[in-house]
Amino acid sequence: MERGDRSLAVYRWSLLVALLTFPLIWLGGLVTTHDAGMAVPDWPGTFGYNLFLYPWSAWLYGPFDLLVEHGHRQLAAILGFFAILLVWVCHRYEARAWVRRCSWLLLLAIISQGILGGIRVLLDARIVALIHGICGPLVFAGASWMVMINSVDWYSASRELRPGGLRWVARGLLLLTIAQLALGAHLRHALPTWKPSLFTAFVHTHLLLAFLITFLVFAGLFIVYRRLYRPHEALRSPIWCLVCLVFVQVTLGLGTWVANYGLPWQEVNEFLANYTIAGRGFWESMIINGHQATGSLLIVCSLWLLCRVERRSLADRFVRRASSLELSDARTGQPGIAGTGSS
Amino acid sequence: MFLLAEENHCLGPALPVARSENGAFHCSTQFLVTKPRSVVPVKLSNLTVKTAISMPFRQWINLVWIGLSCLHAGCSKIEFLPNRLAAAATLQSTDEMQVDKVAGEAYAIATTLFGTPDEPSWPTELPNVVDMAEVSRSAGPVGRAYDKIERGLYRKHCVQCHGITGDGAGAAASLLAPYPRDFRRGTFKFKSTSIGTKPNKADLVRILERGIPGSSMPSFAPLRNRVEFENDIEALVEYVVYLSIRGEVERRLIQALVENENLEQSEVLSIARRVAESWQGTGDPLSIPIVPNLEGEALAQSVERGKQLFKSEKTACNKCHGEDARGDGVSQDYDEWTKDWTIRAGIDPANRSEWKAMKPFGALKPVVNRSRNLHLGALRGGASVEDITKRIALGIDGAPMPAAALGDGSSHSLHSEELFDLVRYVASITRVARPHDTSDSEAQHGTR
Repeated sequence: MERGDRSLAVYRWSLLVALLTFPLIWLGGLVTTHDAGMAVPDWPGTFGYNLFLYPWSAWLYGPFDLLVEHGHRQLAAILGFFAILLVWVCHRYEARAWVRRCSWLLLLAIISQGILGGIRVLLDARIVALIHGICGPLVFAGASWMVMINSVDWYSASRELRPGGLRWVARGLLLLTIAQLALGAHLRHALPTWKPSLFTAFVHTHLLLAFLITFLVFAGLFIVYRRLYRPHEALRSPIWCLVCLVFVQVTLGLGTWVANYGLPWQEVNEFLANYTIAGRGFWESMIINGHQATGSLLIVCSLWLLCRVERRSLADRFVRRASSLELSDARTGQPGIAGTGSS
Repeated sequence: MFLLAEENHCLGPALPVARSENGAFHCSTQFLVTKPRSVVPVKLSNLTVKTAISMPFRQWINLVWIGLSCLHAGCSKIEFLPNRLAAAATLQSTDEMQVDKVAGEAYAIATTLFGTPDEPSWPTELPNVVDMAEVSRSAGPVGRAYDKIERGLYRKHCVQCHGITGDGAGAAASLLAPYPRDFRRGTFKFKSTSIGTKPNKADLVRILERGIPGSSMPSFAPLRNRVEFENDIEALVEYVVYLSIRGEVERRLIQALVENENLEQSEVLSIARRVAESWQGTGDPLSIPIVPNLEGEALAQSVERGKQLFKSEKTACNKCHGEDARGDGVSQDYDEWTKDWTIRAGIDPANRSEWKAMKPFGALKPVVNRSRNLHLGALRGGASVEDITKRIALGIDGAPMPAAALGDGSSHSLHSEELFDLVRYVASITRVARPHDTSDSEAQHGTR
């Protein structure tokens, strides 16, 4: 029934919201990188002005941290408006009730994230900034999920795949990338009261998860080319994206450490021995920010893979469950799901 | 402003301080280490009141509020930390009660004198060696108030490594090599003043501008590229000096408290004054002879003479830097920061079971201060000929690198020509040495 009712409008609006969320995450990362979270002391206004009435000259030609923070707020507000419009578009054009509910959930998530950002300012609490930083990529994942459930693939996927190792790889990847995000956020928002041992523990766990994620990605790459998954070429796109992103992310991760703290083995060669970190340098900021933003993309790609795997195996699971129930009913002599017409 | 007799507390009501009849300071140290945290009370009894809002929703709101209040109370209160490591080293004891008592008392007095990380203060009895306006701007949480002036510079740029107290034990400290500097000793490595004296502020500005190559200390030169941040480096230097003075006073108070349990107010002020005065009169750098430029055969001969000097008993450079200046000499030592709590406290830094006893007090694993491999050019104090001259003539304070004795060229001192030969030799093997580098790092980063 759903397959014939795909709404292009809902898909395009979802895509627009998702595309807007990513620069918002990038800008939010810049706020953290430049410690600009408190560049504006009030919320929801900006130095007493309405968010959209703050003089643009003071914003664009003012201090850099103010530029970043106010820009982050404005983009977030614009995203909120688009999310409201997405809810309206869903109610106007979307036939599936659960998708309409998803649009409401996305709006709620975006509003909550905005309020969390406001609380961070009002309380001036870095711990709330940490939570805000963790929730941002999750909202991005939510917006991307809206795109996925309205995509052509969602409607056209053949439900023939028997669930195998790839499902567990995809589930594991999603969980690990989210956990990695939380760990990374802790490292970026490390409180001044932290003991070195705590920070070291976070760093080591972050490295361990990076290793596990890399392993799972390559395991997934191996699996999608096995005979079972060979007919499902659509599964290859997310896994190849993950492979590329993992390479980029590991490189950026090393770069982030070097940009923040230098290398612990400088005496290896002349270049490393003479490397001086540029505090608040442009390229250093871009590397650190890129690491954070690529982490968000890894979560979205893991979700994309999981979505495609589950979409292809969902019917199979259902049929298997229904079959088992029928079998069970036949044994007990009672009508099962098949008998009630649910299938 | 500094009269504890008129006050009944030093850090709010949780930290009672009293003076005995003889004017000594007493502070209940148990409170100093574990301070109670205030939590905004929320009346959970209100949950029973039937309102238009449904019960679970009201409960949810309350729980969120409690959570946020706890977060606010728990995370926004940032205090300096007592110097427990110095207390343990001075007492040569790992008895936590004893260490906390001494460290806590010194901490309480230091807090009364110098305030807190959010509200720093300066005793009127001391000479004004720091600009308190800049100290206040650098202190406190990061952000701008309605006046649009940025505050909290130290927490923005430095706290991750140097720690809130300036103890070099920030969150990332144990993963860095070398460890971040502990300002509380009052010792700074790269400066234009002699060993044992304080640096001038221009030295510290220079370090912040050019960073330290091959270490985790960044160059903050990019700050100079933006108008709104261009004075931040000077403000940070003021705060570093403030932290250093506060920390050194605290360390000396610990020593005094170990020797004499009850300190008179005059003694406390005398200690603080001595530390503050050590920062006075450091404005003029020591005059270092300028190395004349040589070329061709004359330069080659000078470099060769420098090489011989490098290996000679007179300079004994090769003992640490090795015969070939690759940093592999037989004599490798720890820096003074490490020796303070190890060798001077009767602990062998190479013996894990011994130094590990100091870990609960904030000690990081002792690391040998390896001599520089001069072939890599990683001259942390600067790679210009002028910098190399300064390092040889003035040494590196706190590190095993001694200052050369300049004199008439007798068996125990270097003649200026010998100094020049040595400088030219080092400059020749580092290969990166330039005649002048006063603005090289700025220019380098300005083009980024």
